[in-house]
Amino acid sequence: MKIKLINISVSALLVILLSFSLTKAQAADQCIKCHLDLDDNHAKLFKTDVHFSKGISCAGCHGGDATSDDMDIAMSKEKGFIGVPSRVNRYEVCVNCHVDENKMKRYGSNIPTDQYENLKISIHFQPTFNNEGPIADCVTCHSVHDIKDVKDPASKVYPTKIVELCGSCHSSAEFMKQYNPGLPIDQVSKYRTSVHGHLNSKGDPNAAECASCHGSHEIFAVKDSRSLVYATNIPSVCSKCHSDAKLMAKYKIPTNQYANYVKSVHGVALLEKGDLSSPSCNDCHGNHGAVPPGVESISKVCGTCHVLNMELFEESPHKKAFDEHNYPECESCHGNHLVEPATDAMVGTQKPAVCVNCHSNEKNTKGFIVAGKMKTLIDSLKTEDSETKSILNEASQKGMDVSDATFSLKDVRQVLIQSRTTIHAFDLDKFKAQIDDGFNIVSKAKLSGEEAIDDYYYRRIGLGFSTVIVTLLVIGLYFKLRKLEKKS
Amino acid sequence: MEEKNTKAKGKLLSWLDERYDISGLIEFAKKKSVPKFRETIWYYFGGVALLLFVVQVISGILLLMYYKGTEDLAYESVKFISTKVSFGWLIRSVHSWSANLMVLAVFIHMFSVYFLKGFRKPRELTWYTGFGLLAISMAFGFSGYLLPWNELAFFATKVGTDIVGQVPLIGEPLLKLLRGGTDVTGATLSRFFGFHVAIFPGIFIILLTLHLLMIQRQGIAEPDDYKNLPPAEKKTIPFFPNFAMRELLIWLIVINILAILAVFFPWELGTKADPFSSAPVGIKPEWYFLFMFQVFKFLPGEILFLPGELVGVLLFGIGVLLWAIVPVWDKKTAKGNKNRLLTYVGIFVIIFIIVFTILGFILD
Repeated sequence: MKIKLINISVSALLVILLSFSLTKAQAADQCIKCHLDLDDNHAKLFKTDVHFSKGISCAGCHGGDATSDDMDIAMSKEKGFIGVPSRVNRYEVCVNCHVDENKMKRYGSNIPTDQYENLKISIHFQPTFNNEGPIADCVTCHSVHDIKDVKDPASKVYPTKIVELCGSCHSSAEFMKQYNPGLPIDQVSKYRTSVHGHLNSKGDPNAAECASCHGSHEIFAVKDSRSLVYATNIPSVCSKCHSDAKLMAKYKIPTNQYANYVKSVHGVALLEKGDLSSPSCNDCHGNHGAVPPGVESISKVCGTCHVLNMELFEESPHKKAFDEHNYPECESCHGNHLVEPATDAMVGTQKPAVCVNCHSNEKNTKGFIVAGKMKTLIDSLKTEDSETKSILNEASQKGMDVSDATFSLKDVRQVLIQSRTTIHAFDLDKFKAQIDDGFNIVSKAKLSGEEAIDDYYYRRIGLGFSTVIVTLLVIGLYFKLRKLEKKS
Repeated sequence: MEEKNTKAKGKLLSWLDERYDISGLIEFAKKKSVPKFRETIWYYFGGVALLLFVVQVISGILLLMYYKGTEDLAYESVKFISTKVSFGWLIRSVHSWSANLMVLAVFIHMFSVYFLKGFRKPRELTWYTGFGLLAISMAFGFSGYLLPWNELAFFATKVGTDIVGQVPLIGEPLLKLLRGGTDVTGATLSRFFGFHVAIFPGIFIILLTLHLLMIQRQGIAEPDDYKNLPPAEKKTIPFFPNFAMRELLIWLIVINILAILAVFFPWELGTKADPFSSAPVGIKPEWYFLFMFQVFKFLPGEILFLPGELVGVLLFGIGVLLWAIVPVWDKKTAKGNKNRLLTYVGIFVIIFIIVFTILGFILD
């Protein structure tokens, strides 16, 4: 009984001590006390605010003396009371602490202190059309009085909530037309159709949302090369999650897309050569409505750039066969993320030709024969072209002008490029007609080269004859002269 | 048979003689003689220059049938001549090579006349017309160089006309007159084309006719060493047929050399002129302007408070003028005395030209 009494006493003492220590700071905050007494909603909200939990009083933002219960003193200008911060520069209230590492540590926070630096240069920080401060400042996204830790599911910027937050402006035609009338306003609705959007709707905080790709404070226009979603930056942005094996494990999707893409013809063109017309992840998968294209739409997706190839393929005998077997169209021969440069070796009857994946001497024979003929035609043209170049080079070395013929050979390159497109019709006659154009150019150029070489020798033979004739005349004249002078 | 030929020849001669007094001309030619001595060889270079001028006229007329003297078409037309026209390459190459050989022949002819003192009284006017012919030959070369409208010619013309612009007082208007504006443009090409095919040939023909008439009238000059020989020791060559045949023999050799040069070293066309591109490295004028060009390159920016190029133009101007009026200031030779200074000046000029031409070729 004695022991029980001691326990109760100690517990009571601890509770008293704890209550005293917890309310010491808050008890001194006369602002909240008074405003709660007045049934002020702001005060009520602030009690749930992360700042309140860190012991920051109303005066932390509004100024004044939080320790005084005299309203005239607590809210006097002499004590620094500013009232409701102006829309123009209210961010400065936040900046006061959030750029200062020491202050942040004092309140037990280790969040970064570069938000303002990032926000300052972002597109959101540009002034509003009527100069009422930045378009979006801290309050616009984080709200006021009920600010939560970003990891708190109740936070307005928590992954599952941020989409609606961004959409509150970006889905409003009324609002957006004030700043960028050309910018679509359907991002949120598209997002909700994407895999990311579905997962997000189900409450998955790991699914990509607006900030995952666009960034949070450092947001730039898509066409600004500093933007995380600028064409050359997109692959690495996507790979942040998609190359993370641990993260992707639960979605059961591979993580080699980025590694493959950077080696692909598209990746090299975009990332190494800076060719912005080369597709990045979003060009095939979509951006806000990102989904892997279905087997049936692959040729359409590739066809957004490779229009002719798509049209020819759709009229080709392969279209029906691929549909029947549910083969992914372009991908079957070219691959997906690791699309290698299409070489002529892809056609033919021997590996690495992709035709042999389905055609052989025994199976699908017609296609096998056509592939062999196409390969022969394209190789013959290349050989003829190379031989003609040697002939023209020889003529040129001999000092003959073959610039026209040499220039005409540039068209052979064009024919070869076109034939590599025509091949997608998988029609031998069409392909042959194309290659024959090349043969015509080559044979004309070859003839010019051969004629130039013949002309070179003809000139020398002609010179030899004329030199001999003139020399004989000189000799004859010399003897005639000698005879004449001897006589005289 | 021989008798029949002689008869036919006689008939033709008498037919011509009846109409044109050919026998008088033959008699005149038979009486004409050329001194025969150690230096006779130099007498042939005037004839070589004449032959090459004739080659120039014939090949030039043939080129004119296809050449288009406009900024847009000049290069293409020369290319067409070189590649598509039958023997066009040969005609163009012969025209270019014979132009160079002609200037060389004129230079040799001038120096031989200078050293053999062929300019003295009473042949002063022959010298002046000859000097005029040299100047026009060089002007032919300068104007013709631009006509293919290739890169090298374009920039060389720019540099060349820039130098003309340095001539005191008349430099600026002269530059505008030559270029047809402040810069080398299509207007310059049209102008140079006009000079090359109309104005210069006209002046050249007048001067050449005067030059040849004076030679015919006064006979070939005899050098002092030959003139002072006793009459018995004075050897002569009959002008017709001996000297004429010798000249013909040399002409045939020159034609052979010309053909070999034209076939083995065809004149290159280069790339089309682009007025907006920067000047290529190694711009050089034709070899006969190279010594002047090289001297200008060596001149400092400023000499005695005067621009270096202006000093160069003045010095060259004075030098050329003194050379041109040698019959005026060379009093000693005129009186039949030897003038060693004259010989030394001539040797200095030749060495000067050769050294600076070589430097122009080997230095960038």
